[in-house]
Amino acid sequence: MDQPIVLEESIQVDQALENIQRLITNIETVIRGKRHQIQFILTALLAKGHILMEDNPGTGKTVMAKTLAQSIAGRSHEAGVNFKRIQFTPDLLPMDLIGSHIFDDVKKEFIFKRGPLFCNVLLADEINRASPKVQSALLECMAEHQITIGETTYPLEKLFFTIATQNPVEMEGTYPLPAAQLDRFFIKIVFGYVDEETELEIYNNYLGIANNLDHIQQVLSMEEILFLQNETEKVQVHEEIVKAVRNIVWDTRRHIDITLGASTRSGITFLKCLKAFALVNGRTFVTEDDLQMITSPVLDHRLIYRNKEAKAKALSSILDKEMSRLGKLKIL
Amino acid sequence: MQIGRIHSWKKVTAQLLLLALPTIALAVYLLWDVNAYYNLLQNRYQEQSLFFATGIVTAIIFYAYRFRFITTAAILGLVYFAVYKFIDTLAVGEFDAFFISVRFLTFAILFSLGWVAGYGFSRSRYFTIFWSVFLLAMQIIVVSRTVAINSNTLIFAFAPVLAYAFYVIYTAELIRNMNEDEQGFTWFIGKRLIGFLMLAGVVLFALLLVFQKDFKAIEQDWGGAQGGKDKGGKESMTKDNKDGSVSNKDQMRMTSSLSKDKRLVFVARVDNFFPDGKTPNPLYFTSRYYTRFDTLTQTFETDDKIPSNDLFSPDPSKIPLYFAKTDSTVLTNTKATKNRKVVTADVYRVALSPHEYLAPTTAFYCQPIAVENSYKDQFKSAYRAKMWVSDLNSAYFIYNPAGNKQLEAFQEERFLELRSASSYAGVDKMFMDYYTFMPRDEEYNRIRELATRITKDANTPVDKMVAIRNYFTSKDEFGQPLYRYSDNPGIPGLPSASKLNYFLFENRKGYCAYYAGATLFLLRSLGIPSRIAAGFLTVDRSSKNPGWYWFYADQAHAWVQLYFPGYGWIDFDTTVPDQNTQQAAQPDGTPPMNTQQALLVADGQAVSIDTAAKKVTMKVKKLMYHDENFTTRLPKEFFMDVSLASISRDTGAAALSDIKPGTNIVAVSFAEAYKTKKPTDTDSLESILAKSPKPAPIDEVKIMETEEQKKDRQAKQEAASKPFDWVKAAWITLAVIGSFLVLLFSLPWLIWLFVSSKARSGNTPKTKAYNVFNASTYYLNQLGYTRHHQSPAAFAAETDKTFGTDFSRFNNVYQKVKYSSLPLSSGEVEMVNQFFPSFIQKVKQRVPLKTRLSRFLNIYNTLHFFTKPKIK
Repeated sequence: MDQPIVLEESIQVDQALENIQRLITNIETVIRGKRHQIQFILTALLAKGHILMEDNPGTGKTVMAKTLAQSIAGRSHEAGVNFKRIQFTPDLLPMDLIGSHIFDDVKKEFIFKRGPLFCNVLLADEINRASPKVQSALLECMAEHQITIGETTYPLEKLFFTIATQNPVEMEGTYPLPAAQLDRFFIKIVFGYVDEETELEIYNNYLGIANNLDHIQQVLSMEEILFLQNETEKVQVHEEIVKAVRNIVWDTRRHIDITLGASTRSGITFLKCLKAFALVNGRTFVTEDDLQMITSPVLDHRLIYRNKEAKAKALSSILDKEMSRLGKLKIL
Repeated sequence: MQIGRIHSWKKVTAQLLLLALPTIALAVYLLWDVNAYYNLLQNRYQEQSLFFATGIVTAIIFYAYRFRFITTAAILGLVYFAVYKFIDTLAVGEFDAFFISVRFLTFAILFSLGWVAGYGFSRSRYFTIFWSVFLLAMQIIVVSRTVAINSNTLIFAFAPVLAYAFYVIYTAELIRNMNEDEQGFTWFIGKRLIGFLMLAGVVLFALLLVFQKDFKAIEQDWGGAQGGKDKGGKESMTKDNKDGSVSNKDQMRMTSSLSKDKRLVFVARVDNFFPDGKTPNPLYFTSRYYTRFDTLTQTFETDDKIPSNDLFSPDPSKIPLYFAKTDSTVLTNTKATKNRKVVTADVYRVALSPHEYLAPTTAFYCQPIAVENSYKDQFKSAYRAKMWVSDLNSAYFIYNPAGNKQLEAFQEERFLELRSASSYAGVDKMFMDYYTFMPRDEEYNRIRELATRITKDANTPVDKMVAIRNYFTSKDEFGQPLYRYSDNPGIPGLPSASKLNYFLFENRKGYCAYYAGATLFLLRSLGIPSRIAAGFLTVDRSSKNPGWYWFYADQAHAWVQLYFPGYGWIDFDTTVPDQNTQQAAQPDGTPPMNTQQALLVADGQAVSIDTAAKKVTMKVKKLMYHDENFTTRLPKEFFMDVSLASISRDTGAAALSDIKPGTNIVAVSFAEAYKTKKPTDTDSLESILAKSPKPAPIDEVKIMETEEQKKDRQAKQEAASKPFDWVKAAWITLAVIGSFLVLLFSLPWLIWLFVSSKARSGNTPKTKAYNVFNASTYYLNQLGYTRHHQSPAAFAAETDKTFGTDFSRFNNVYQKVKYSSLPLSSGEVEMVNQFFPSFIQKVKQRVPLKTRLSRFLNIYNTLHFFTKPKIK
């Protein structure tokens, strides 16, 4: 099972790891005290997935997305990746996203006017404020990587990364995403407030930080990101880790307090995220630590719990059991 | 409805094979053992084991599914109840009902026990510990009922349970933590078990080796005949032999209390009367002399090598009936010429040991005699003793004659006589040195001073003796007795003070051994040769049968004997009367009159026994006929009619069938047929036997046992009459629980030794990394720095923060080793090799030794290390 790592490739991996470090450092000039969140976002990016960020307004979700986008997109749209942002509102229509056929007076025919979805990095702000129709449209595109209108199918960009943000489900005027749609997001993170000291630092430097956002440099090109995504596939996953993923997924289905467990697709996503996370952390192999860190962001939003208490406990107890098994495992 | 499983079939199989099977095996052993002790169980241990096995197997399979314990147990209880009711209606007779319900009860108990055990193995993680403790406790109860406790019993009783306890605790944990998905699952369990069993074997063996001495010591303490402690832990002047008989004790240790009982020990007739011929003159019965005081143990000791040994102590049970054993050397060793005469005493044993020979001073003759048939159920055996008795000796000699003019006159007469005794100048120096020895130190100087003070007016040894007696019976300034009698004199508060000093100067309360001991030193400090005699004091209660005395266990006594040149050893008793307890006069029974005269006594081996016709043929080696002895080199056959004979042993009546060919027997005849035929000078053993009627009428047959037979029978009797000994049980409990705890508490340390040695030993970097990581986390965990559910990296970071170690870097290497096939760089290999010693060093520096020690005692930390969290 152990994939032999070719020396040549591992040099490229070193390059990739360095690039990731540059990216993280770059983002951190703007976003302070959010190391893990940055790692998760990059994980989703490298795993060719999408990320959903949830928290109260004003915690830096949008800034985060913008910073990331600018780090890889650059200020000029031609050179780097294409970054678009859509602010979701209740009256938004699907065609506002995917585009529509309009009549070309010159050519006397309907031509397809591409919507904002035809981009590389999409920031879907406050996704749960849009109507379910719009949400489904977006999520379908995310899953299929293509848009079909009428008889024509339009593929999306090779690099298509959605950063969605949403306000907590309890807030008014929102359409909570159904579980089946939440499943489309590889990772869901809770942004959370920064710690006290970081907050103080932010207050002291808010001008500087805002300035940084304006002068954020593009550190990675599209090719480099695509390369990283390819590299991710090569990250080594030990048989026992695969088993651990299987066990965790199975345990969520068996757990008495979980009404809807994780699906097989979740498991595959899980594995992809593990690989990406290992790479983000500068490793070419997945360890227990990756499992520990990534399980909750990857699985939590896919599960339906019996009650709030279960939500707090169930997944971590499943994880603890598996971590303990792995911890004592003697792999030689 | 689909019932969810908790354990996979693999786990259940492992539980059944590795936990249930050994448990059942142990249960078979224990039940077999228990059946030997409890009749109620009816020796059906196979069946009982089956009940237990059914319970445990059912429960393990049952609880592999998601069943709740309380509801299922309640249902089980209901089923029991229903079956019980059903049996009740079914059973016909009361007797049947009893036996069926007893068997049902054993079934219910054992099945439930198995059920609970199965549940515990299946679900509870700490159950094995409780279970082991439970089994050990059960075993302690069983063992404490065992009669003959020796090191083998203990080993056989506890070694299996202890071994099982460790095995099961370990294995349960192993099964709990096993990786069910791993390939070679059997090998995983198997190799660990083999390793564990070897380790456990070594530990157990070492433990037994270490404790063997203790076991032996305990065995000696309990089983040996030297002990004298009875149930209350009180000291007694007599000891209970294993066959239920009584002897005087070998040692007279002065301890805090004395217990007495009213058991009749023996009855004696002493042919000693005052010159008037009808007033009986009782004599104390001596068993042995204590001549040496061991200052270390505070014990008076007997001494085999006393100068001029005048103690005649034969074993009456070894002398054939009516044959006598005489030791004339004691007569010369008494060194007495004046006022001595020969007195005869017949001693009839009740509880007295058959090996014990008691007689007044100075005995030299012992002849076992037959007990007349009508008394045989009361008296087991008898012997006649003859002694060289001083006229001056008497139980009345010192004691208050209570207004009896005759006795007062007698006393005065004796004192006068003894005052005229010559000085000790002419006595052998060695003899004097031996009998006047006392230790020289501060404590004994105090006694010397007291002795000089209280005897300052007395000139002769006998006056000094009387002065000492008067001192003990004197009153203090308040008119109260200065010394009191007490069976519970209490233990001296200051450990350094000798008990004698404490008795003489502080407490002034004690029983005979105290008075005798104190008197002995008072006398010896004055240079008067003296010794302690132990035996029975004689009380003359009988007016009906003069000369007959009854001896009860509470008459066991100690007193002093003084040596007077020419007069020999004379008894003196300085123990003050017991004022608190009014000695209730015990009624004396009818003495066993023995009017028959043994005319023919034949000693030899039985050849053939016809139990139907009651005829016995024996080969006679020795013959006594009309008190004349005949012997022969060639044993002669003698055909006897034993239809009227009473057959006995030392311990009481026996049956004809007890005589086997080869048994040593003594046949006695009181028959008229012999009365007239007196032996002539020309008669020999052969001629007398030839003249005797055929078959010869025999009235008494006594079975003399060979040594093996004796031991055999004693062992059996021992088994029959041992009461439950709580002290013993407590000791075993302590020993077993102690060793169990020692092992339990040293377990974390032993594991640490194992893992750290593995971590230190050279190996491939991969195994080494694993071993080092394992040992490091074990060490941290044992010290209370638990990993909980942290990921390795988070835990390593925290450890580094606490101890300033390099754990994170090592962990990175370890994770790489564990999860990737990438080769390690030389730096990383170096890291793996160098990390462990410095890491432990750093952790040790931060944690004080005391903390480390206490944490290492915590077995729960260790258990926690092997714990696998449950899904909640």
